[in-house]
Amino acid sequence: MLELIELTKRYGDVVALDGLSMAVGPGRIHGFVGRNGAGKTTTMRIILGLASPEAGEVRWQGRPVTAADRRGFGYMPEERGLYPRMTAIDQIVYFARLSGMGRVEATAAGSAILESIGLGERSGEPVERLSLGNQQRCQLAAALVTSPELLVLDEPFSGLDPVGVDALAGVMKAQVDQGTAVVYSSHQLDLVERLSDEVTIIDAGRVVASGAVAAVRRSRGVDQLKVALEGGWTAWAQNLPGARVVGQDGDEVVLELLDGADDQAVLDAARQAGRVRSFRREAPSLTELFREVVSS
Amino acid sequence: MTKLQMIRLVAGREVRERIRSKAFRISTGVSLAFILAFAILPGLLSDDGLTTYDVGVFGAQSDALAGRLPVVASLGDNVAVEVRRLADMAEGRRLVESGDLDAAVGDDQIVVKRGLGVLLGFIVQEANRQVVGEAALSGAGVRSDVAGRVLMPQPLEVLALDPESEAESDRKGLVFFGTVLLYGQLIGFGYWVASGVVEEKASRVVEILLAKAPPGQLLAGKVIGIGVVGLVQLVLFVVIGLVTAAATGGVDLPPETLAVAAQVVGWFVLGFAFYSCLFAVGGALASRAEELQSTTTPLTFLVMGSFFAAITTGGDPSGPVAQVATFLPFSAPLVLPIRVAAGEIGLGAVLVSVAIVLVSIVGAMALAARVYAGGALHLRGQLKLRNALRSGRSRKEPVTAG
Repeated sequence: MLELIELTKRYGDVVALDGLSMAVGPGRIHGFVGRNGAGKTTTMRIILGLASPEAGEVRWQGRPVTAADRRGFGYMPEERGLYPRMTAIDQIVYFARLSGMGRVEATAAGSAILESIGLGERSGEPVERLSLGNQQRCQLAAALVTSPELLVLDEPFSGLDPVGVDALAGVMKAQVDQGTAVVYSSHQLDLVERLSDEVTIIDAGRVVASGAVAAVRRSRGVDQLKVALEGGWTAWAQNLPGARVVGQDGDEVVLELLDGADDQAVLDAARQAGRVRSFRREAPSLTELFREVVSS
Repeated sequence: MTKLQMIRLVAGREVRERIRSKAFRISTGVSLAFILAFAILPGLLSDDGLTTYDVGVFGAQSDALAGRLPVVASLGDNVAVEVRRLADMAEGRRLVESGDLDAAVGDDQIVVKRGLGVLLGFIVQEANRQVVGEAALSGAGVRSDVAGRVLMPQPLEVLALDPESEAESDRKGLVFFGTVLLYGQLIGFGYWVASGVVEEKASRVVEILLAKAPPGQLLAGKVIGIGVVGLVQLVLFVVIGLVTAAATGGVDLPPETLAVAAQVVGWFVLGFAFYSCLFAVGGALASRAEELQSTTTPLTFLVMGSFFAAITTGGDPSGPVAQVATFLPFSAPLVLPIRVAAGEIGLGAVLVSVAIVLVSIVGAMALAARVYAGGALHLRGQLKLRNALRSGRSRKEPVTAG
């Protein structure tokens, strides 16, 4: 269990973190979202010991984190980092050994992880000769080689094509199934919503929403009704008593119920206007929630 | 993992990757080629220092001139004249023109292509003076043995008060060679430390490294690893150079050769420990390889200035430059071997100099560790030394946030 307690960090006059707290349990994928400059990278660097907070504490398994704990964490920094002229296998083995593994153990683990991500045959090539996608895989292998109990990934999906995203998501799931705690940041909120067990949204160094994804979605705002009529007609929804139009999504009209109003009244109104093709009641998506909380 | 294990792990990677790199192989090959050339070529090209002039003689006095020219030449050090009999002046002109002769003499004239030169001029004019004088004296009835003593007396004996022995000039040559080698290793491997530091910053590897190990251990491992490669390479150069020179006889090795070699190697260790830390500072202040040039320029000047101080010391081992350079940590590694070999420095001064360098190494290490810690995560743009020092105070603190 990773716990961040009341982390505070300043760079000159800029407040990067302002009493940030969050927790990541074993076997959980924790999405970490916020605008650029909200403090995500700073938080991750503090977890890894690359930056030190002015106040607050990082705890691991119920006690203050140690340098030895941190050596065992898997980390993928936002801007990546591999020695361009070193071969993939040497690189992975080196990082594994820096984490405290013995030579034999590190070599075996390095070969196995490269094999498992499909780089087995190219493991003897210098990293600079691999494609960007393969370099990214190699980077991930470096973070995973020690089978870490905590995996910290800063923007792991940026720059990946959909196939790469699915592959990385698969690897993350597999790690989590073995009990690893994963915390990752991303701007792709639909992905975060799909992939994460929990999510923390931060803004200006403060947590604005945190918890299980479904709970966070329900915690804020009101449910939305999404209604589509045959022919794509939408004008019927204007000036309904008890609901107001907040947008349009393709053929669907998106409505918000006013306090105490009944969604069935809206359905009746729709049916009077034409043939109802779909009628859904949903909590706001993470994207909508994010827009709302960071702009308020 | 202990501190030592971590440093050894980092150093091990440096050694492996350096030795594998193309740059290392090429530079080693080029250096070896130069060293072998210096060890072998002097023996092949040497002419024992003897200058030989080809002079043709013609006309009435040709017999007498042919006899006198070699005798006059023998008065000088390492000079000889080869005489060739010519049919006439026309042949002389032709052979001088074609470069077969340096000069053709006869009938009160000297034929040369462009000019005679001081030494050959003296030899020819003196030979002519003797021939003319001998004819005049014999015409006046002076006996030829008396005339000979007048015209060509026993040469004066040379009494040198401070002669430069051959061994001494051999030793000077050896020490100079050692100094050039030392300078090359210090600046070459020092620069490698700087570029190694900046490579890790530019490729962002440093962020992963710092999550695994404290900056001091990372830096120590890098410096030690690169230093070991430099040391092994230097020892290899010295051994190959000396063995080749001894085997081919290309260079005369003085008796103190091994002592000089040991000093060069020893001063590399101290000099590298000092300079590599400063080069690491240069690397930590840059964030891309392109910025290295400007962050290491002051340092490059320092090494080059020290090298010139060493050259000056070679010419005057107890002069003011030598005296001052002995006690500056930058120049001591390059100057000391020269002064010790020349016997121009006492043991006390050597020990003081070594102590100054050792203290400076400790200072340079502290400076490097702090700037490295402060600059390691400064990944954009050139960093000011002052800012790096300030943020290095809080150990692993990056200067800018992501």
